[in-house]
Amino acid sequence: MTSNEAAVSLGVAREDINWRKDLISQLRERNRSQTNCFADLISLHNRLFENANTLRNSNMQLTIANETLRREAANGGIGMGGNPDLEARLLKQAEELAMLHKRKGEHTQQIVDLNNKLQEITKELHRKETSLAENSEANTNLRLEITKCLAREKDLESINQMLKDEHQALQLAFASLEEKLRKTQEENRQLIERLIKYKARDAEKMNEENDNFLSFTSPTTFLMHTLSKFGKRQAKMQKELEDAARDTRPVSPDRLSLKEVAGLPTAVPTKASVTFSAHEGEVFAVKWSPTDRILATGGTDRKVKLWSINKDTSENKGILVGSNAGVMSVDFDSTGTLILGASNDYASRVWTVSDLRLKQMYCCWLVIIPRFYEYS
Amino acid sequence: MANDREVLREIWDGKIPVCFTLNSEEICDLQGPDPFYLMVPRLSYFPLCTEKVRKHFIRHIQSDSKQEHEMWLEFNGIPLKWHYPIGVLLDIYFNDIQLPWNIVVHFDKFPENVLMHCQNKEIVEAHFLSCIKEADVLKHRGQIVSSMQKKDHTQLWNGIMNDKFDQFWSVNGRLMETSTEEGFKYIPFRCYTSEDKYIQRLVKPMNEEGQRKTLKHLLNEVFPDQENVTVRTHGIIPPFETPLQWMSEHLSYPDNFLHLIVVTS
Repeated sequence: MTSNEAAVSLGVAREDINWRKDLISQLRERNRSQTNCFADLISLHNRLFENANTLRNSNMQLTIANETLRREAANGGIGMGGNPDLEARLLKQAEELAMLHKRKGEHTQQIVDLNNKLQEITKELHRKETSLAENSEANTNLRLEITKCLAREKDLESINQMLKDEHQALQLAFASLEEKLRKTQEENRQLIERLIKYKARDAEKMNEENDNFLSFTSPTTFLMHTLSKFGKRQAKMQKELEDAARDTRPVSPDRLSLKEVAGLPTAVPTKASVTFSAHEGEVFAVKWSPTDRILATGGTDRKVKLWSINKDTSENKGILVGSNAGVMSVDFDSTGTLILGASNDYASRVWTVSDLRLKQMYCCWLVIIPRFYEYS
Repeated sequence: MANDREVLREIWDGKIPVCFTLNSEEICDLQGPDPFYLMVPRLSYFPLCTEKVRKHFIRHIQSDSKQEHEMWLEFNGIPLKWHYPIGVLLDIYFNDIQLPWNIVVHFDKFPENVLMHCQNKEIVEAHFLSCIKEADVLKHRGQIVSSMQKKDHTQLWNGIMNDKFDQFWSVNGRLMETSTEEGFKYIPFRCYTSEDKYIQRLVKPMNEEGQRKTLKHLLNEVFPDQENVTVRTHGIIPPFETPLQWMSEHLSYPDNFLHLIVVTS
């Protein structure tokens, strides 16, 4: 603002000048009562305060210095005083202290070593303990096994006992059976003896009869002679055969006449269509199969042979073995699947034609002409 | 224009004696510390002048950890707000105060819900500058403050901090200038009715007829119902006839506000 304006404002405010005077006087009064009268006091106080502080600090420093000085003086005094006795003792004490320190160090080392050893031992102890525990466990296991084994052994023993008992019983049974067997054998022997006796008697009888027949003179007597030992029935049959043979001569002209009556052409086989050697030795039996063109032959070589016969040829179809003596007779069954052979070993045998197997064997004292009979 | 340097100087020189004592519960020595006397400027703030006080008392409190604690001041059991200028605080508690002002220093049990924290002077500076900006918004719509440079703000602050009248007013004068006859747009003022309550209104320095308003007009506008309302500021009771424009220019605190404490008689 310019001074002009200030002057103007002052002029305007002339009537109001009182407020300014009042204000200034109030301010002055305020400063006088509140500021001026305290300012010196406070500044003085502050100065004193600072002085006191600095004095306190310096005092403290001086005390410290004094203390240090006094201590130094005291130390110096002792050093100067030189009580040799005390000093010597001090030296000794110091030496002793050093010794003690050294020993303490050693002890500490020892303690450390011992501690280490202790730790190792504890470790080992632990290991031992664990192994002990393991062992004890194994022990208990083994003990359990032992008890198991004992139980099993007991079982086995009982079984063994049982078996022994059984064995004894069986032996007893065996002994009794043996006894029985011996008895039976004895009986058997007796029976056989008796049988032989009967046989001998039979033979004697047969001989007697044979002697009776010897009086007959005929070509068949020779055969009769061979068969004389087969009993009376055989002898009867022989007689019949003899009769039949006796009848042959008168029969043959009858047959011729029969042929003439029937008007059928007759042919006596004059020429062999096929010739072959069937057996090593005599051929006792020949039989045609009822169904096929198969011929069965039996001979002294203990075999039955099957032959397929064609117009000019013969072919061996199979050899049936099993007889222990010469085969005296063979026969087929009605279907031609089975073949029966009687041999001199007192047995008849049945074979199947298809696979040449021995099927059955029948034993009897004599089979001359075996025949199949149909079973329904 | 604030050209009445006599008044400004008298106001600037206003100092009060304060006696700081440490809270007796926090003393750890057998022999407690001496009270600390100090002259503090009315226009300053407590955190700016209690550095020495803190140094003096910090040695006497109990544990080391408490040395990190913030110092706070208490008068008559009431925590003192550091963000009010000291003169305002003095005027608020004027009736209870006998000089030298006895203030108790605390380090422990910071009253969180009453006081703002104030760790350093930068916080005070921020508060101070924000007040100046608010006042300038009222006076010149903030044009002058925003045209100022950072160094001007620093100069203002340093003037307050170091109690340098000329340094402060060389910058503050610009804030108090008016370009027109009408003066400021509004008068920045606060009317304290109690210690933590104040009224702030938009009051123009001139009335509609172009006449200058006085303190009387202001009080009538702010307290229309109450008669015989007087105000105290800077420890004085300004006359009712004092023009508002002049008051704002000369009787404002450095934060550019008129701090008027209402005295009900």
